[in-house]
Amino acid sequence: MTEQKKKSISLSSKLKSSLDFLFPFLIIGIVWEILVQTGIIELRSLPAPSTLLAKFWELTFVNGILWKHLGSSLYRLATGYLLAVLIGTALGALLAQKPLLHDMFEPSLNLLMSVPTIAWIPIFLITLGLGDKTVIIAIFTSSFFAITYNTMRGIEMIDKSIVNAAHLMGLHGLNLFLEVLLPASMLSIINGLRLAIGYAWRALVGGELLAAMIEWGLGKMVYQARYFNDASVMLLGLLIIGITGFLLDKTFLTILERNTVEKWGMTAKK
Amino acid sequence: MRRKIFLAILPIVIFLLAWEVSARLEWVNPVLFPAPSAILNELVDLFQEGLPAHSILINHTLATLKRLGIGFSVGVLAGVLMGVLMGLSNPSFHFFNPLILVLMSIPGIALAPLFIIWLGFGDPTIITLGALSTFFPVVYSTTTGVRSVDRQMVRAAQIMGASRLQVITSVYIPWSAAFVFNGIKLGLARGWMTVIAVEFVAASNYGLGYMIWYATERLKADVVYAGILVMILIYFILDKLLIGNVEKKTISRWGMITQKQEE
Repeated sequence: MTEQKKKSISLSSKLKSSLDFLFPFLIIGIVWEILVQTGIIELRSLPAPSTLLAKFWELTFVNGILWKHLGSSLYRLATGYLLAVLIGTALGALLAQKPLLHDMFEPSLNLLMSVPTIAWIPIFLITLGLGDKTVIIAIFTSSFFAITYNTMRGIEMIDKSIVNAAHLMGLHGLNLFLEVLLPASMLSIINGLRLAIGYAWRALVGGELLAAMIEWGLGKMVYQARYFNDASVMLLGLLIIGITGFLLDKTFLTILERNTVEKWGMTAKK
Repeated sequence: MRRKIFLAILPIVIFLLAWEVSARLEWVNPVLFPAPSAILNELVDLFQEGLPAHSILINHTLATLKRLGIGFSVGVLAGVLMGVLMGLSNPSFHFFNPLILVLMSIPGIALAPLFIIWLGFGDPTIITLGALSTFFPVVYSTTTGVRSVDRQMVRAAQIMGASRLQVITSVYIPWSAAFVFNGIKLGLARGWMTVIAVEFVAASNYGLGYMIWYATERLKADVVYAGILVMILIYFILDKLLIGNVEKKTISRWGMITQKQEE
C-alpha cells in the first residue's frame, strides 16, 4: 500500500470515528428541539438547542465575549500548569536521585497529592486574595504534586545498569537528565501530566467560580449567568467546559498511546 | 524502618514548628496564617460549642455526610446498572460513551449554578450533584471492566451449562469487580469533593462546606483551616477504612488484585 492511500484511509476512519462521536449529541439535540417546539416540555430554564445555537452565534461572532472567557481561562491554565511541569519534573528528578531526600519527602508528597483540589481554594482565597493569583496558584498546586510524584517514580524505576552505563560514558547532571533519565521515564511522566491536567482543569473552573474579583473565564461565565437567570449562557458555558476538558485529556491520552502501544507495535487492529 | 519513619516525620515537624514560631512572633500575619496550635484550639472549640446535644462541628459534618451518603448510594447504584448495560450492549456503548466522556469533564461545582436554577438552594441541588459526580467515574470503570471480560471465559461457562444469571454472577462480577471498586473509590473522592464544593455556593444552613465558606468570606482563617483539616481527615477515613475493607473482603478473596487506574 502506498503512503498516500494509507493516509487517506486513516483520514476517512478518523472522520468516521468523530462522526460516530458526534452522533448521540445530534440525536439528543433533535429530540430536545422537537420536545420544546411542540410544547411537550415548557421550561424557561431549559432552552431549546436552536436558542443555544443563536446564543452561541451571538457570543462568538457578534460580540466575541466567548473568546474573551475562553482566552483568559486558557491563559490561567497554561501559566499555572507550565510552572507546575517545570518545577515538578525538576524536583521529581532531584528526589529520585538523592535517597535521603526521597525518604524525607516521599510520604509528605503522597499525602499532599491526595488532598482534594477544592480544599486548597479557600486557603488561597484567604491568603492570596480574590483575583488571578489565587486561581493560578490553585492550578499550580493541584497539578504540581502529581507531576513531581510521577516523575520521581518514573526515574526510580529505570534499570540501574542503564544509569551506571551512562555515568561510565561520562554523562552527568543536566545531560544525564535530558538524554537518559527523561526519555527512560517518559511513560510515567506523561501519566502524571495527564492526571495533573485533569486536576488543573477542575482547579481552574472551581477557582474562577469562587474568586470574586475575577471578571473573565469560563467558570465566571457560568456563575455570572445565574444573576441574570440566563440558562442558555450557562448551558453553553458548561458545554464548552466539558468539551475543552475532554479534548485536553484526549490530547494527553493520544500522546501516551503514541509513546507506548504504538511504539511497541501493539496498535489494536479493527 | 525506624529511620524511615523518623525521616518521613521530620519535614512535617519542621514545617509545623516553623509555622508555629513565625505566627507567634508575627513574622507572618497571624490573622491569615494562625499558628497550628490556634487551629487545633479552634477545632476543639468548634467541637465543644453547644456540646452535649448539638456540637457545631458534628452537626455540620453529619449534614454533609448525610448528603454524601444519599448522593453516593444513588450514584453507585445508577452507575453500576448503567455500566453493566453499556458493557454488555455495543449499541448502547456507542451511544452513551461520548456523552459520558464530555459530561464527566465538567467539574461538579460548575454545574451548581444551573442546578440552583432548576432545583433551588440546599439539599436537592447538593445531593443531585453529589450523585452525578459519583455516577460518572463508576459508570466509566464498570463499562471498562465489563467490556474487558474475556469472551472465551463466558463461552466456556456457557458450554459447561451455566445459565445467563450464573454467567453474570460467576464470570462477569468477579472479573470486573476490581474495575468497579476503582470506580467506586474515585466516585467517593469526587462525590465528597463535589458535595463540599457545592455547599460553598448552594448555601444552606448546615454542612462542612457551608461552615468553611462562611468562615472564608469573613476571613476567619482558623475556622477555614480547621474545617479543611476535618474534610481531609474524613476523606482519608472513608477511602482507607470503608472502601479498603470491602475491597479486601471481596476482590482479594477472588484473587484479583486491584489494578491502578487513573482519573
